[in-house]
Parts: sequence; C-alpha cells; structure tokens
Amino acid sequence: MKEAERAFANPAPGTYLLTVSLAQQGYRLSSFCRSLMSAENRAAFKADEERYLRDFGLDAAEIAMVRARDWLAMVRYGVNHFLVFRVAGTLGVGLTGAAAQMRGETLEEFKRTRRVWEER
Amino acid sequence: MARIVGGLGSPHAPAVGAAVDRHDEDSAYWKPLFDGYRPMRAWLERERPDVFILFSNDHFTSFFLDVIPSFAIGVAALHEIADEGWGKRPLPAVPGDTDLAWHLARSIVEEGFDPAVCHRLPLDHGCLSPLSALSSWTPQWPVRVIPILVNVLHFPIPTPARCFELGRAVRRAVASYPDDLKVVVLGTGGLSHQLTGERFGYINPDWDAEFLDRLEREPESLARLKHQDFIERGGTESVEVILWLCMRGALSPRVRCVHRNYYHATLTGYGQVVYEDTESAAR
Repeated sequence: MKEAERAFANPAPGTYLLTVSLAQQGYRLSSFCRSLMSAENRAAFKADEERYLRDFGLDAAEIAMVRARDWLAMVRYGVNHFLVFRVAGTLGVGLTGAAAQMRGETLEEFKRTRRVWEER
Repeated sequence: MARIVGGLGSPHAPAVGAAVDRHDEDSAYWKPLFDGYRPMRAWLERERPDVFILFSNDHFTSFFLDVIPSFAIGVAALHEIADEGWGKRPLPAVPGDTDLAWHLARSIVEEGFDPAVCHRLPLDHGCLSPLSALSSWTPQWPVRVIPILVNVLHFPIPTPARCFELGRAVRRAVASYPDDLKVVVLGTGGLSHQLTGERFGYINPDWDAEFLDRLEREPESLARLKHQDFIERGGTESVEVILWLCMRGALSPRVRCVHRNYYHATLTGYGQVVYEDTESAAR
C-alpha cells in the first residue's frame, strides 16, 4: 500500500477507513465473516471454531485474530466493521462489547463514558 | 403527475428495528426516540403516500467486496428480508414499484448518474429499521418502497455534492412521471457516530444540531463539505449523512420543518425530521 492510501485510511489516531488495498488484504477474512449470514454456517462455526476457520482457508494470523476476539485488529487488517460484527454477534458479543474492546476498555469502563445505557 | 410531498429523516440502526421487534418502544431507554416517531407516523397517516423513495446503504448484506456499487436502485416488485447474521426479522417482504423504478433509473441515467440496477436486493437494517419504526406491516406494508442505496462503507464513496445532486435528479424524475402518485423521500442513518477504532462511540450533539439547522435552511453549504469534514466533526460513520443530503436534494429549496427530534443514545446521535415540500405539496 502506498503512503497516500495509508494516510487516507488512517486520517487521525483511532480512526480507520476501509480502502482498496486494505480490503484486498482483508478479503479472505471478510469472506469468512460473510459466511456467518447463514444459520447453518453459524451453527457449524459455533460447534467447532478452529475447524471452521481452518476449512475456510484462513492463515494463522487471521485465525489468531478471531480466536482472540480482537475486533480492532480485524478492522485494522481491512475488514469492514459490519462484517466484524457478524462474527462478534455469532459469539454473543454485542456492539457495546465490541466498542469496549476497540477502545481498550472493560465494558464497565466504557459504560461510565456513556450518557445513557440500555440494560438488557 | 407524481409529486414529492415531503421528506423524512430517520436513523437506521439495527437496534431500532430490534426495539420494534421486542415492543420496547416505551422503555426508559427507547422512549425518547419512539416519541419522536409518533408525529412522523401521524404525518404519514395524514398524507398517505403511495411510494417511499428510501435513501440508505447496504451493510455488506446484498453486496460484498466482489462488487460495490456507488449507487444502486432496487427495481423488484417485492424486496426480500435479509438475514444479516442473527436471523431474519419477522417482517413480510416489502412491495416495490417496478414501473416507477424503471422511470427513475432511466431518468437519472439521462442526467449522468449510473446506478447499479438490482432485480434482487434483500433489505437489511438500513431500510428495515426506519420502515418498521414508521409504519405497521400488518396485514401488509402500507406503501411501496424503492430503495436507492449509496456506498458509504468502502472508499472511495460518492461526494456529498454528488448525493445532493442525485436527490435533485430524483426530484425531476418524479415530477416527470405521468401517474398521479404521492411520493415521500426518506434520508436514513445516524448523525454523529463512529463504530470502529479507539474513537468508537464518538458523538457530537453540537455538530448534529448545526447539521440539522443547515440541512433545513442551507443544505448547499453541507453539500460543499468534504467527507473528512463530516468524519472529524461527527465520527467515521456519520459520513452516512450524505444519505440525508440525497433526501434534502429531492425537496423544494425551501421546506417547512414540521417535526424535529434528537436523542443522544449510547453509540449514536439519532435525528428525526419531517420536512414538507413547499412546491409540490401545495394543494
């Protein structure tokens, strides 16, 4: 990726945009995320995560991001967040959970930064 | 002759649709938003539009990295409900309007816009959250819907100025449609919000208030801004306010704002507006 695209994709600290080179790097991981749109695939993934990821052809670094539930790493790698949220959602992690992880906070710490909070 | 009677602005977050499905509109958390939908529903019941032209975006549901249209128009007679990854919402398929969609597509192409024409475009929360918050779907949806989707997720994305111009082209297209139809345009999406990175959760209510002021009175000044301006002021995902610029471009230069509400929720600044068109709505 050339410097100009890198600068475009990361215009400020903590802010990431999806651009062509990044999306290309994240293509395979993104395909895995998309596969979870089917109920059968969600069930297969939950039944045996490691096998599902291996069968999908992800490399070791990509598998490690999913294993670690490292949503921020996936975004930085080149996966759009709505694709990332499909994995998080399948694993029972909602938007606030993903938010806390990406901010480097616990859910309680993140909650304290919010004006309103939905208890469910 | 078809005419645009007004425009609505609404969030389209998945959480809004989920609250509808749980009948959670009166909970402490959701009441400030759903109280804002009441006047919108009343306005729609009074106006009884035939068609919604709904500006939204796909969330890697119908489109994937293989093909990312900058603009796309759904021309199907019936739009399916998508499974985004947590099961389909219990909603009936949404009726489209193929005849008007053909006319819209053809008209805007003649004006220099080149949308992807989609015969199958399952709808995700970008369309379904506002639709289900604004109307009841039993026994059936009360209105036909033509979705016009804009890429806001994978850069490069269309400029604010281009989106405003798209709205104007849609306005001219509706005005040249021979059938006597009442059309309402919808701009959807959150105002300030950012859903990634260490800045996740960024909300800027002051900017949101200024945005809504300017959208009503001087939308051209917003259309002149760059994506970066929106991202800095409102967070990365707030760039989807270009969908609201599409809606505003489709209305008369002067509008009558008959409803405006704002709710600073957990992750997003939610705005709601009803603008009456001061030209074509004259009766």
